[in-house]
Amino acid sequence: MAEAKQGNRWTMVIDLDKCTACQACVIACHAENNVPTVGPEQINMGRAQHWLRIERYWQGEYPDLRARYIPVLCQQCQHAPCEPVCPVFASMHSDAENINVQVYNRCVGTRYCGNNCPYLARVFNWFDPYFPEPLNEQLNPDVTVRYRGVMEKCTFCIQRIHAGADRAALEGRPLRDGDVVPACAQVCPTDAIVLGNLADEHSRIHEFVKSKRAFALLEDLGTEPAVIYLKGGESHVS
Amino acid sequence: MSERISRRQFIALSGLTGTAMAVSGCTINLQEPTHLEPYVVPPEEALPGQKVMYASTCGQCPAGCGILVRVSNGRALKIEGNPLHPLNRGKTCARGQAGLQVLYNPDRLRNAVRQDQRGAKNYRPLYWDAALSLLADRVKAAQPGGVAFYGNLIPDALATIVTSFLQAIGGQPPVLYDTLAAMDGRRTLASATAALLGSSTPNLPLFDIGQADILYSFGANFNETWISPVAYGRAYGQMRSRPLGTRGYFVQFEPRLSATAAVADKWVPVAPGTEGLVALALGGIIRELGLARAKDSPAAALFRAVDVRGIAAASGVAVEKLEELARAFARFPRPLALPGGGLAGHTNAAPAMTAVMTLNALMGQAAGPESPILLTPAPPDPAFASALPSSFADVKALIDRMSSGAIDVLFVAGNPIYDLPVATKFAEAMARVPFVVSFSYIVDETAVYADLVLPNNTYLESWGYQVVTPAGARPCISSQQPVVTPLYDTRQTSDVFLDLAQRVSDATRKALPWPNTVAFMQEQMAKLVGKDASYSTKTAAAVWAGFRQYGGWWPQDEARTQARQVAAPAGVMVPRPKLEGDPAQYPFVLYPYPSTLLGDGRGADQPWLQEGPDPITTASWGTWVEINPETAKELGLARDEVVKVISPHGQIEVIVYTHPGIRPDVIAIPLGQGHSNYGRYANRRGANVLGILAPAVTDAGDLAWAATRVRIEKTGRQQTLPRIENNVGVDFANQAGKFPG
Repeated sequence: MAEAKQGNRWTMVIDLDKCTACQACVIACHAENNVPTVGPEQINMGRAQHWLRIERYWQGEYPDLRARYIPVLCQQCQHAPCEPVCPVFASMHSDAENINVQVYNRCVGTRYCGNNCPYLARVFNWFDPYFPEPLNEQLNPDVTVRYRGVMEKCTFCIQRIHAGADRAALEGRPLRDGDVVPACAQVCPTDAIVLGNLADEHSRIHEFVKSKRAFALLEDLGTEPAVIYLKGGESHVS
Repeated sequence: MSERISRRQFIALSGLTGTAMAVSGCTINLQEPTHLEPYVVPPEEALPGQKVMYASTCGQCPAGCGILVRVSNGRALKIEGNPLHPLNRGKTCARGQAGLQVLYNPDRLRNAVRQDQRGAKNYRPLYWDAALSLLADRVKAAQPGGVAFYGNLIPDALATIVTSFLQAIGGQPPVLYDTLAAMDGRRTLASATAALLGSSTPNLPLFDIGQADILYSFGANFNETWISPVAYGRAYGQMRSRPLGTRGYFVQFEPRLSATAAVADKWVPVAPGTEGLVALALGGIIRELGLARAKDSPAAALFRAVDVRGIAAASGVAVEKLEELARAFARFPRPLALPGGGLAGHTNAAPAMTAVMTLNALMGQAAGPESPILLTPAPPDPAFASALPSSFADVKALIDRMSSGAIDVLFVAGNPIYDLPVATKFAEAMARVPFVVSFSYIVDETAVYADLVLPNNTYLESWGYQVVTPAGARPCISSQQPVVTPLYDTRQTSDVFLDLAQRVSDATRKALPWPNTVAFMQEQMAKLVGKDASYSTKTAAAVWAGFRQYGGWWPQDEARTQARQVAAPAGVMVPRPKLEGDPAQYPFVLYPYPSTLLGDGRGADQPWLQEGPDPITTASWGTWVEINPETAKELGLARDEVVKVISPHGQIEVIVYTHPGIRPDVIAIPLGQGHSNYGRYANRRGANVLGILAPAVTDAGDLAWAATRVRIEKTGRQQTLPRIENNVGVDFANQAGKFPG
């Protein structure tokens, strides 16, 4: 398990008070990351392949009922339970971004990592993805297409992190807040999702993570997620 | 070019020229050689070709959001929102994201086809010239007024051309009926606004919910599909961004807890069709308690002598609760009431919407510079006046003309056989039309019964523009341009009509003199010369360039258009809703709702949208019926049981989903599925609830889509509804209850 290192600390903040579960992020993630669709039979077997899903919980009883939404994606743990169980170091911590990465060409498909992930954020390719022509034209050339037997998960759109860093280097300046916007944050109509570098003191998320509303999923497991949620739904009318 | 150019550089540069030609019309910065990636020896993992963004307009619903499409090597790779566009500001919804699967759909028609026997699906390819002369002959031979056009809310460029064409041949104006627009209540909302605010022309407003302290939404599912969900989503985010204490209190009045109601601070399950009555009661109580801020307004007259007790009994909301809600609404400086689409589906649609709008007037919010009701501003030129969709009454009139043999040629740019209730008998009427032309890009349920299918280009391959309605704080004409060359031998429908005009008569040649849509657009856009924009509008050429580059035309600064004063609503009383079907035989009220992902069914051919989980049920790839758990218990029904839902006008089979947030006397079914012909991803999945609706009409002349009663019958069969709830994680398949995800 990797200790928090110096350098970048990519962190995502999700404001649950703003999330409307509109699913725009889910579809944007499919489009950006070449995530295949698996069809109804596979979904019934628990093999839905969304990297990002919006969980819905009921609160109260009819008629005083509310739904609570939590978008769940790879939490990019600083102490990631998926890393030590991988026999081939396919699931590992990246020093440069300080997130958890999956090396697809190392993965041998033991699924130990998926088994060990308390957030159920990892999805497995049970079959080769199928894109009947010309649907294959939609594939994003910046992202690998994964094949049967490979585990995959949210990468914080690492291709966009790299592109942002390259652009900044090209312009001879340090990476600024807002240079890197993952697909889910870019599309989110309510701006519920924000990605930033916690190492950058001027980043917007610096304020957010200090909020009284901030919490992490299953905090007591000590996984130290890099996804911080802001609790929602406090009302000023009784 | 320097003389000392090396062979390697030469090849690099020729590669670049090719790329530049492929992406002409956009910018490549030649000053920055670091961006150039020659074909010769590409660096490891780098891709040849510079990625460029094309600005255009989304075509997945009638809202008209601006998009930027990332294109590389002639392939469209990703759709993003256009950050400059005043409506959506860089954001899109789920449907907007899936547009690439319209373009690259494997089931698209690749050329014009005709079939000799309707429904036989024995399509024969046809050259466009042959197709157009065949069509011209049919149009010329038609009886006077015998050519009709039925379409969805098509982009304004096409609508303008079609209207001119029909006018030139002496036909009636096109019937543009849209299920989403009907479920938004667009027409009813526009006329209620016009009546209240004393405007002679109907005007579709956009409500600025971002500034509201307290928001009462009467059946407006604005976070899902209502009118302009991305614009409302942005505003909802603003409302929730304000600090605690002024964060915006949000109450949703709706018989079913929708995804919008799910994020409300309070959900009030009112009886179907009594939303307007509840608004009336709230206004009555506010007036009674002396809390009205516009006491002397003529609008206050509506709330005189309201029967609060009677309304409490009819709506199922107790008098004490109504009082509590009324006091809360009157307590804050900026209250706002939304007359949503849910109201438009009942027979009392018009007065119900008026009551909600008048509630705003009672609190002094309907007019004046502080008003959150933003009227659609006047267009920059009369040529850009946008028409409202046709009413359901117009559709019925067309069906009557078709059945009586008055129509010889019918153009269809939509899917009425799927969209319209079976009881309207559109299919039977269409069978009596001698010649039917469909413009569908895929063989859909209507195209199967067409004689000629002239596939339209998808919206990512087409030219056009859309006058954004409602536009919000400034007028906006959103531009549409092809982001890739058309994949197949398809032709955009506006070009078909321009070509047809050349072949039919002198009158049509005169009315539509343009050789193609681009020439037509250039002439239209020349009307914007000298108008304020963020780019130069000095010459027609400058406008044309800026219009495409920035994604449209809109003024630089916001100028909110609000009503100056409130007119008195003329003696409106909200009647009780009338429901079709005998309550003894049909005990439940059917509440159909547009799917967040599939819309009214137009999205069903896109696998991303099929697989996208519904926000409430987390289900996908199917149709379910939402039943209150108590009702299900009484009927002895459990989840994943297949039942028949029977209305007086038909029946469908759907899977039971017990929904704790629905009234016990109501069942809800999402739109979108039940296609028999719409490509491999849509066919033979779920059921189409639109088919079994009663063809009832509201007092505003629209389809009363929420006014059908139904009963439920068991089939004894089981079918698992695909959903991720309780079914998440690689190794936890079907262990329901283990993870409450």
